[in-house]
Amino acid sequence: MLEQIKQWLAQRRGGVTGDHDTDSLPAPKTASDQLLTRSRLVVLDLETTGLNFSKDEVIAIGAVAIESGVIHLNDQFDLILRRPELDISETVLIHGIGPEALTQGHETEDALLHLLEWMNGDPILAYHSAFDQKFLEKTLKAQLGYTSQHLWMDVAELLPAFFPHAETKGRGLDNWADYFNLQISERHHAAADAMVTAELTLAALNMAQKKDVKTLKELVDKLHYQRRLQQMHRL
Amino acid sequence: MAAANQDTTRPQNTRAIMSFLREHAPFSSMDDTHLAHFAEHATLSFYADGDVVLSPEDGLAKRFYVVKQGRIRGERQHKTEERTETTFEISQGECFPLAALVGERPTRTLHRAAGDTFCLSIEKKDFVTLISESEPFRDFCLRGVSSLLEQVNQRLQSKAMASIGSSNSLDTPLERYALRNPIVCSPDLPVRKAVARMHENNVGSIIITDDGRHPTGIFTLRDLRTMVAEEKGPLDTPIGQVMTSNPCCLPSTADAFEAAMLMAEHHFAHLCVVDEEQRLIGVVSERDLFSLQRVDLVNLARTIGTATHLRTLVALRTDVSRLVDAMLAHGADSGQVVKIITTLNDVTVRRVLELNLKKNDPGIPFTWLTFGSEGRQEQTLLTDQDNGILFETPEGMTPEQVREKLLPFARKVNDELAECGFTLCKGNIMASNPKLCLSIGEWDDWFIRFIDASTPQNLVYSSIFLDMRAVFGPSEPLHRLLENVLARIRKNALFQKMLAGNALQRKPPLTMFRNFRYLNDEKKHSLDLKRQGLAPFVESVRVFALAHGVETANTLERIDALARKDVFDAKDANAWKEAYSLIQAIRMRAHQEMLDKGEELTNYIDPDDLNPLDRRILREITYQL
Repeated sequence: MLEQIKQWLAQRRGGVTGDHDTDSLPAPKTASDQLLTRSRLVVLDLETTGLNFSKDEVIAIGAVAIESGVIHLNDQFDLILRRPELDISETVLIHGIGPEALTQGHETEDALLHLLEWMNGDPILAYHSAFDQKFLEKTLKAQLGYTSQHLWMDVAELLPAFFPHAETKGRGLDNWADYFNLQISERHHAAADAMVTAELTLAALNMAQKKDVKTLKELVDKLHYQRRLQQMHRL
Repeated sequence: MAAANQDTTRPQNTRAIMSFLREHAPFSSMDDTHLAHFAEHATLSFYADGDVVLSPEDGLAKRFYVVKQGRIRGERQHKTEERTETTFEISQGECFPLAALVGERPTRTLHRAAGDTFCLSIEKKDFVTLISESEPFRDFCLRGVSSLLEQVNQRLQSKAMASIGSSNSLDTPLERYALRNPIVCSPDLPVRKAVARMHENNVGSIIITDDGRHPTGIFTLRDLRTMVAEEKGPLDTPIGQVMTSNPCCLPSTADAFEAAMLMAEHHFAHLCVVDEEQRLIGVVSERDLFSLQRVDLVNLARTIGTATHLRTLVALRTDVSRLVDAMLAHGADSGQVVKIITTLNDVTVRRVLELNLKKNDPGIPFTWLTFGSEGRQEQTLLTDQDNGILFETPEGMTPEQVREKLLPFARKVNDELAECGFTLCKGNIMASNPKLCLSIGEWDDWFIRFIDASTPQNLVYSSIFLDMRAVFGPSEPLHRLLENVLARIRKNALFQKMLAGNALQRKPPLTMFRNFRYLNDEKKHSLDLKRQGLAPFVESVRVFALAHGVETANTLERIDALARKDVFDAKDANAWKEAYSLIQAIRMRAHQEMLDKGEELTNYIDPDDLNPLDRRILREITYQL
């Protein structure tokens, strides 16, 4: 009981909570005819307390932006959320965020608002994006009551779509990183994973240009087509 | 502790790029704040195999690149045939296009990705920030520039070589340089045996060839060192696995300068020389290109110093000019050459004085002084006589009486020196001028007036008289005089200020747009290298030297002394010395060419006559002023 009060007090002192005007946030963009070479794309990776969607929580967000076909390092997002109440003993070994780092993290709501502003409604890419999308949407709804739908694309689909003959040793992020000889500076660090995902995205976008996939819409369509093709294979 | 804290506040990806950079030169010796500046301002881009990264058509180089992953290949169009050739490879951690960025020009080479490649890059303005803030980075980038300076020196040498008819000019085709019957082996030969073969033949490299004698790789002693140090494999490894593939090749018709450029640019020490069918015919090493020979200076100085007739001295001046040619040809730097010219000029002046004393001794001891550039030991072949006499008035005589005896003698010496090629000074700054033939007390008074009543005219004189030196006779009186003068100047801040103002009035000959500002409308296309190029250096350095009591009169030595006294930053001092020397070198070459053509020597040059490299360097240098 005393611990809870202490935490509550700490949160109150920590800064603003609640009362966020989510209406003034940038509106999510749709798959338009905008040229890929002119678009800003957000490549994101989340670290969570576990894989169970109903009980696990987001603890770190890393993201980098691709603009005009290059990664701009002055345009990135790298935050650990302040979630001291969470039990993270299970996954602490994987991503290396201990309880101490979590308590030093940022106010969750502030961090999420900051993220939404920074993303600017631009399309979001992630490796196995369904996982990140579910967790992020859940967190945004729970913390901010935010429910707008963003355009998501899965880099795990994007890569085989443009490199169908690549001989990777598997379908994981590490396999593709190996294929392109990329080093991941710190695996299971949200920002580092986002970075390598973005690097792979650059390679895919480069190929997209050569395959005449020029606009956001064409890219989304290509992914749809790819998905359907795979479903047909499975049948 | 502070650094550690700071590091954890940087985003993971910034830290990751910093640690990537830290593994490569020059970043390995740069401060974290500068690496962070790089990482935070960088962009990362991807190029698929064969994509063009940078092309001469892109215009002025705008970004500074570092290969993060993959390789970049440089391609140039073959001169005669319809094909391209690879000129270099840039691999992980290496930078490009340094020369184009520093030279503010487009790249000359098409940069193409060899395999899937990721590059980090920063904008030119961030590159400039790093150059100005990080010493190791500046050193690294300026090394590129100084290799350009070296190239100019090479050009100078090659010109001079051509004029003395030597066969060792850098314009000569490579086939004359190349080592015939180079040491070769097949790729399956164990490293141990290959090295043994190199050892037997006393060479530093071995070329790996295929059955058709096409070079496929090169292995040098440096590769051996790396192999041993990094434990890349046992010495029984087939050499094909550790060689550097696709060695740099030039056709035998390429000239030595082209080879030198290529080596300087990519830090190779060896090049393969091939025939039209790309078959190996020889190897040329850096050392083959730049082997220097000694020039017999001592002998010439001795001949001058013992000449018995004026006409011998006059004749020997031609030899001095030839010696300068030879020195330039053999790679002496301009600072050395200038000092040697001064030495030989001094020997000549002394001999003229000695010969005259023998014939007609005025009977009064004196010190022969030189001023101006002669005083600073910075003469080139074109030298005015700027001289004077310092004497101690003997008991029972007035200075006037001494002058009566010394002046006719001085007149004769001035005339004879003129015959030797030291032109009579138009401003009559010569020992035969009664105002410059003074006793020690008179000189002292003269300087007092000169320092304490600083008029514009005095300032003009300052540039001449403050650089005085004793050439003949006892130097002790001059030393005493200079000590007094220096002490007085150090106390007189106003005089220092005016001297500095005078130095600043000389603008470097560049317009706002960094083109050359020409002398005036009549001489539309000429630059006065002496007044516009050298004088600003000389005068600025003089102000500092006088203010800090540096007694030496040579500009380069003054810069050194000031650097030792921590008045100048050692790095700046070196840059200035290099720049100064280069202008001297260009001036000397111009003089040599005027002599060859039988023209009157002037300090004017037309920048359009310079080759593009010289012109660019001159522009960069004058910008430093």
